[in-house]
Amino acid sequence: MTYTKTMTGIKNFSIHKKKRTWLKFLIGVVVLFFALWVLNFFVSPIKNVFYILSSPIQKVFWSAGGSSSSFLGSFFRASSLVKENENLRQENQRLLAQVAALQSIQQGNQAQSDVSATCQNSGFKLVMAGVMGLDDNDILSVNKGTADGISEGMPVINQQGVLFGKVFKVYKNYSKIMLVSNKNSVVNVKVQQADISLPEIDGVVKGNGGLTAYLDLVSIASSINPQDILVTSAIEKSFPKDLLVGKINEVTKDDQKPFQQAKISLFSEVTSTNNLFIITNYKR
Amino acid sequence: MWKKCLIIVILFYLFAQLQNSFFAHYNFFGAVPNLVFALFFTSVFFEKKYFCVILLSIIAGLFLDIFSYMQLGPSIVLLTGIGVVLKKVQQLLQNRQDNYPFTYFLPLFVLFFAIYLVLLSLSFDLRIITSIIYSAVFAVLMFYIFKKFRVYDKQV
Repeated sequence: MTYTKTMTGIKNFSIHKKKRTWLKFLIGVVVLFFALWVLNFFVSPIKNVFYILSSPIQKVFWSAGGSSSSFLGSFFRASSLVKENENLRQENQRLLAQVAALQSIQQGNQAQSDVSATCQNSGFKLVMAGVMGLDDNDILSVNKGTADGISEGMPVINQQGVLFGKVFKVYKNYSKIMLVSNKNSVVNVKVQQADISLPEIDGVVKGNGGLTAYLDLVSIASSINPQDILVTSAIEKSFPKDLLVGKINEVTKDDQKPFQQAKISLFSEVTSTNNLFIITNYKR
Repeated sequence: MWKKCLIIVILFYLFAQLQNSFFAHYNFFGAVPNLVFALFFTSVFFEKKYFCVILLSIIAGLFLDIFSYMQLGPSIVLLTGIGVVLKKVQQLLQNRQDNYPFTYFLPLFVLFFAIYLVLLSLSFDLRIITSIIYSAVFAVLMFYIFKKFRVYDKQV
């Protein structure tokens, strides 16, 4: 009798203990989610404070990483430098030929070119921003924010007019830039062929992650080739037209599919860039 | 206890900075090592108290969320879950000769980090595989540092 009572007591105690543990766990989960919910009302100022505090250290780390990687990289790339040099020489000659052809067109259409240049490229107000960091989702952090007149959707370029992406999230003193290579990025482009007398071909550059992207939605009837240059088109109006995006490396053509794709290399070399420019007055 | 907490917070902060800036230049297929996760996992692996596990999860998750483009929360919740489950798994895999064997550490790190990345990005690709391998290298280093200095043998 006493033994049965004792056993029942132990069982009850064990059940109560288990219940208490579960209750503690549930309360803990509720408290955690409630705290996070409250914390998210202040997400902007919290992140902003952290970035202000981190900015100097991050800038130092970014520069140190850049210089050390280029120093180490020169050892690893030594064997491919000769080949790269040869490729650059060939490309330079091809570009010189293109420049000569463009100059003759420019002389013929000076007036039209001036109007186009005035409408599209001049008058852009640029804000220079220092690169602070890059995460593995192809999101770049820069040290300018709403306090500097930055807002979401603004195009981001470098001094050569190469498109890097657009402002994705803005905080008071810093911003997040979604790179062209981000998986959610889609940019309307024109394919400028090596033979400039041929018409331009429309397509889109889609981010592939890992600082890479590919060309898609090019009509199967169009002829695109490796080394063709990709520039932004004005179809969607997210970006000013004629910003450099990249060049085609390899074309994938399947007659069963309505569109052809191509592997591309982007002109935006994120890791070797310290400063970028945000176009603050481009209206969609 | 508080001294240990302070050191851990400073380390998490520094590692968050390093992985977002310095190691961005050393990316493979766009993947950078997740030093914060590696440190979090190694600390939790050697930690005995559940309170400290939760604390480490919250601190590491907070830094991961702050330096990401997301809202505050996803990493905190995921790391807390991973921390608690890891301790339960370690209890099941008790080893008499060695409380913290490397044969458990590496597979568990790979498994939990893969779960974390997949749940966070809802995808599984080459970048994630590279990121796991890359981060595992640093986690192994941290494992041997922790083991060498017996950081958690004497609980402060």
